[in-house]
Amino acid sequence: MFLNGSLFWYMMGIIFVVIAFAFKAFVEDRGWVLTWWKGLIAVVTYTIFSLSLYAWGTLVGENESGAGFKFFLLGLFVTLVLAVVLWRFLSAKPKNA
Amino acid sequence: MSEAKKTQLSRRDFLKIVGIAGVTVQAGGLVASGVAAGKDSETYTGWESFNPGTQFFNRKPFEFEGPAHTPSGPVTRPSHLTDYVFGRVAIFQKGLQDHPDWKLGDPIEAMGFPPPLTKFYQTFPERLEWDYKTFTETIPNNKMDTKLYGNYYMLANAYSSGFETHGAYLPSPKTPPEVSDFTKFARGMPEPTPIGPQVPFKSPELASDFIKEIAHRYGATLVGITKTKIDFFYSEGWAGCPADYDFTKLPEHWQYAIVIGVPMEWDSVLASPQASTSYEAYDRVSTAAIRLEGALKYMGYAARSNTPMTSYDLIVPPFAVEAGLGEVSRPGYCITPEVGSNCRTAVVVTNMPLAVDKPIDFGVAAFCNSCKICADQCPSGAISKANSPQEQEWTSGSSIRGYEHWYINNGACYNFWRESMGPMGCRLCVAVCPYSRKDNWVHQFVREVDPRDPTGFTRETLLWMQKNFFEKPQAIEYRRVAAGGHFASYRPEPSWMHAESYLNIPITSPHTGG
Repeated sequence: MFLNGSLFWYMMGIIFVVIAFAFKAFVEDRGWVLTWWKGLIAVVTYTIFSLSLYAWGTLVGENESGAGFKFFLLGLFVTLVLAVVLWRFLSAKPKNA
Repeated sequence: MSEAKKTQLSRRDFLKIVGIAGVTVQAGGLVASGVAAGKDSETYTGWESFNPGTQFFNRKPFEFEGPAHTPSGPVTRPSHLTDYVFGRVAIFQKGLQDHPDWKLGDPIEAMGFPPPLTKFYQTFPERLEWDYKTFTETIPNNKMDTKLYGNYYMLANAYSSGFETHGAYLPSPKTPPEVSDFTKFARGMPEPTPIGPQVPFKSPELASDFIKEIAHRYGATLVGITKTKIDFFYSEGWAGCPADYDFTKLPEHWQYAIVIGVPMEWDSVLASPQASTSYEAYDRVSTAAIRLEGALKYMGYAARSNTPMTSYDLIVPPFAVEAGLGEVSRPGYCITPEVGSNCRTAVVVTNMPLAVDKPIDFGVAAFCNSCKICADQCPSGAISKANSPQEQEWTSGSSIRGYEHWYINNGACYNFWRESMGPMGCRLCVAVCPYSRKDNWVHQFVREVDPRDPTGFTRETLLWMQKNFFEKPQAIEYRRVAAGGHFASYRPEPSWMHAESYLNIPITSPHTGG
């Protein structure tokens, strides 16, 4: 089945690379510095967001829609917290600026 | 010119727009892929499978030197007359028929039960109350409920009946072990014939490997091997044995116990207690065991199957635990890593020299002490809500038959069986158990992480989510309408069990009353 197959995940991987480059462009255009650890936080944040979506779908497939949605909301909350933290780190001016 | 330049999309802006589009596509794709993963029939571990791939959990890191069961007091063996609920209630029913005027509170001795049963009821008076209630209230109520709502469960009962009917053709031993275990049936032979000379294996390890391979191919989802132990054999009533048979020692050829397990179908079992059926797994595990018995006898080794569709000379969970299939749980049966509580078991005893497996500890004991979902959901209150097996409210002393372990009030359990609708039985504790889940990535992740987390953080987080995220009926809702319930099931019946969609008969739904 396509949605469980290798081709699907190859495509997801390619899209992820595009998203990563787009994010880099977005950060640089705002004049921010994307260090390795800020990039790592960005990857973790996006992974948690992706996993919450995937888990939501999986639980829907298991006929546990209610639990899936709550799980997604929990993941979304963690994602938002991390995203705010990341935004603050990215937009912070260096101390000697 | 400069105005035109301003409105032109730069490469960087285009990349950012594609990035946003990519996030949207990935979000949709992940949800859709997740749904496919959740529905995937490959996740129905062991259901109608015939290959060794169903026993996929790496038990090695969790093995320990057995035995898993160590006596904590004087050991007594289980009894068909008392511990085995069907044996007990059959005698109780006969007693009530012979003494129709007997009432609860009258001397139990007046019933003329065998002395061990009289003593059992004196030790566990609440069992007497439950057994009395079963025959004086519950079964008559169930007959009335069946007249009203029976048609609603017609298709579930028909489905179950197919397995039950096949299981009824499986042979039980008709002669003592010294005869039946050394003879085999063959096609076209009206009488059993003696088995031939033993075919030696190069080593017990190779013999075990071969036995496990064919057990899987006969339909076993899980298979493990351990040595027999008389403590877990019934103290009387072995199949095919006369009353004066010597039950104080095991026959010499009952040396090894090959334990096999299969799950019930994953969607229907969630429709417990009303619409699921035990017979689908009973039939399959019994069939696999009898096939295995046939193979052992073909190679000249004595063998006897102990199965739900034929007979049991032993109680299975201790052997399943010693054979490394899983760990004992709060409701008393064995929880396995692959299929959780959804595991119906059989044992083949044999004298084929075999290499034995080790018991495992993958965290069930701590999980069950903390979880209690089965106890909270059980409408009969048969499962203890104590914090540990040692604190159970209905044990006499700190152990049962000399061993400390979880022990359900099987009188209360059986009483609810007889109240529920659809195929006989309940299975609600199996359905609600967090371990009884299909094999998709969510549960694969949990299965691998939780046993390796020494802090218990994973366990407590999972339990918090299980209790707060997953909807479930209140325990009272599983009960009959007159008792304040509506014959709820943990999850709705599968659509192919909906009688009103298929049948041209009058149907009353207990959920809506119409």
